[in-house]
Amino acid sequence: MTIEHHPPEELIARFAAGRLDPAEHIVIAAHVAMCARCRRFVAAFERLGGAALEAAEPAALAAGACDAAMARIDAGDTVPAVPRSRRAEASGLPRTLDYYEIGRVRRVAPGLTMRPIVVPGATKSRAFLLMADPGTRMLEHTHTETELTCVLQGSFSHEGGRFGPGDFDLGDETIDHRPAVGSDMPCVCLVAMSGKLRINGLLGRLIEPFIRL
Amino acid sequence: MMTVLLQRRISGHGRRSGSLAKRWPRVKERPEIAVDWSGLIAQIALRGDREAFRRLFEFFAPRVKGYLLRTGSSEAEAEEIAQETMIALWRKADRFDPATSGAVAWIYTIARNLRIDAVRRGRRAKRMLQDIEAEYRPEPVESTETTHGRSQEAAHVEAALQRLPVQQSEIIRLSFLEERPHSEIAALLGIPLGTVKSRVRLAMNRLRELLDDLK
Repeated sequence: MTIEHHPPEELIARFAAGRLDPAEHIVIAAHVAMCARCRRFVAAFERLGGAALEAAEPAALAAGACDAAMARIDAGDTVPAVPRSRRAEASGLPRTLDYYEIGRVRRVAPGLTMRPIVVPGATKSRAFLLMADPGTRMLEHTHTETELTCVLQGSFSHEGGRFGPGDFDLGDETIDHRPAVGSDMPCVCLVAMSGKLRINGLLGRLIEPFIRL
Repeated sequence: MMTVLLQRRISGHGRRSGSLAKRWPRVKERPEIAVDWSGLIAQIALRGDREAFRRLFEFFAPRVKGYLLRTGSSEAEAEEIAQETMIALWRKADRFDPATSGAVAWIYTIARNLRIDAVRRGRRAKRMLQDIEAEYRPEPVESTETTHGRSQEAAHVEAALQRLPVQQSEIIRLSFLEERPHSEIAALLGIPLGTVKSRVRLAMNRLRELLDDLK
């Protein structure tokens, strides 16, 4: 499995700094989990983060804060961890998704279904799994804002190249494309989308109201 | 190792003009650097050493709080996350592996994850409580990646960072980790506002190249 398409450095940087929109965060996390190269980039950022922390101007805590922390430790004051649903694991999805509620399958268009992912705190984008039958050709479309995609299974191709498992694709308003799903197996992608799809051409304008993404 | 990075700190009065070397001298100015933080964390893991915890708390809690205030947290949130970070450090001490990440970077990731959690919690009261660590440190998919492999990876990353010119690691830090606006970065570094963006990009490309070269 060779990953050829990586997220732009800026997105990985904001991921590593913990400043991505939560929906976009999941997509980058999925890519990073599959990509040793980007894991190194994240690790480098975390080290720079450590340096930033150490260089930060100290701000005094309330008097007795250390004793208070010890008391909380002694009291076993914990943030209870929610058990992983294992739903994701069972279905071959990345572990990242174990911590999220995944909605029911919805039909989007012929050959195309999706499952919404419930992301607490997402304000900008929404996340979903997109599943396409082998050989599906999507209509030529543009995005009004951005779309982050990480391929989990199968493949698709467009002018930008072929995208297989682990590959990352970024769509925005400057890109007009018409992805085609590989013919050998279904394609499953993890997507974070802000804005809307714009389907080009007369046919697109006619069917756009029926495409529910 | 980290010491080289740690010495390049931004002081409160970064507006002095002059070369970067002048502003971030390579001379040792902070004796605390010699403290073996990893060793103290190990003492907590081994025997619940409260004195070790106190020393870590005294150094890191105010810096976590200061870092969070610098990057936009409220006083109350920064105070709470600084405490939670130290509590988490105690609880996770046995999972800390000094071979794969430096103590300071590890503490940074704890604070960062708690801040993300706080942001999410703030936006939706009925949020599921969860340990989001797995999201940030996803288990690599490749099962062949051993502990030995991971510490080799860590050494690669460390070597790449050491080769990254000071000016470049600094601009990455100012931009993404200290989240300073470009106008402030321009003033701090004494460069035109219009070049900040391209310098940030250049620095990140360089870091990528260095990380790739070492493979």
